[in-house]
Amino acid sequence: MIYDAGISQALYRNLLRFYPREFREQLAESMEQTFNDLCDEKRQAKKGYFSFVVWAFIETAIGIFREHLLLITKGDIMQTTLKTLGSSTLVSLLIISPLMIMEVINRRIFNEDFPFMLFFVLWLNLFAISLILLPIVRGRWTGIHNMANPVPTQGNTLLTNPKSAAMISVVLFLSPVILSWLDSLGWVPLQSLLNGPDPEQPYVPGQVISILLISIPIAAGIIAGGPIVNTLRAGGSLFAHPINLIIVVFILSTFAIGLGSLIIDQWPCFIGIPNCD
Amino acid sequence: MATNNNIQPLTPAVFHILLALSSGERHGYGIMKQVEEDSQGRVSMGPGTLYGSLKRMLDAGLVKESDRRVDPEMDDERRIYYQITGIGAETLASELERYKRIVTLAQERKLYPETFAYDL
Repeated sequence: MIYDAGISQALYRNLLRFYPREFREQLAESMEQTFNDLCDEKRQAKKGYFSFVVWAFIETAIGIFREHLLLITKGDIMQTTLKTLGSSTLVSLLIISPLMIMEVINRRIFNEDFPFMLFFVLWLNLFAISLILLPIVRGRWTGIHNMANPVPTQGNTLLTNPKSAAMISVVLFLSPVILSWLDSLGWVPLQSLLNGPDPEQPYVPGQVISILLISIPIAAGIIAGGPIVNTLRAGGSLFAHPINLIIVVFILSTFAIGLGSLIIDQWPCFIGIPNCD
Repeated sequence: MATNNNIQPLTPAVFHILLALSSGERHGYGIMKQVEEDSQGRVSMGPGTLYGSLKRMLDAGLVKESDRRVDPEMDDERRIYYQITGIGAETLASELERYKRIVTLAQERKLYPETFAYDL
């Protein structure tokens, strides 16, 4: 199929659509012409046409990835994300620090090991809540304090459009649930993927998969909250996208319930009751 | 707009594109062919690398789109030709000067294979 110049050129034209919009508008037509020139050259040479087309597609796909990466790293998105990541890490550590201090004091008295995993899970829940909530709080703050010069709403993309963002976040949030369900049916070997061949031994790929699975609902919350943040930054109302707001509240509640039940469960240990585990 | 100082040293792709455009206006395919010729076939750029570099060079003001159409044989009304700008020429000269200093240093330290100061 790829030997047909018309088809490979049409496929290449479609591949170019994956470039960022500004790049595409400025250079895609030239790129297409250059590709066609190169195709003509290879066809006239009557050798290496197939390998050239494969190479050109791979090289261009790498170029597309690089352009998107550059767009993210050079722009406001990455700075905002890094700022939010840093703040969320700090805020969640600060909130659990009193519990950590209480635990350290009690464990020293009873000569027991520090429960790192418990605090990691506590921190992770708080981190997830902060990560979803902080951009909304910041957006609200920006909207109130920059009323004279509001931040314009971003272009209509899958992640900024409230409906598509809501749909993506619902699919993401439900995916771990669906995976668990498929696992219970025996269709996906989730347990063996998480625990490895020997459940008694630490299994690094399983831990990586666990963190990825935990990241999915966090990503769902951030995506659902994206249009809310944009609207708030532009001086709009918190209730402008009610479905997104409901999803965000639901996801936040899930993490908050997990966090609350863990603290209630472990509270006797925090206040120093012996043999509380 | 970028200045000479904050984009040097140039990437091999940018350097070769500037070198190719230093001898005249060219379209994308023409640049590729000139780069191959200048490097004796050692540098082969794909469209992704060429246009990614051109985008950054256009943003930095090293090159610009030309209104002229200089290849009648392959000419297409939509075909875009690129030309080096003053800043681009200065940047290329500055980069060549940097290479020259490195070559001089290598000569002083006898780093060329035939003049190595020590046995490998």
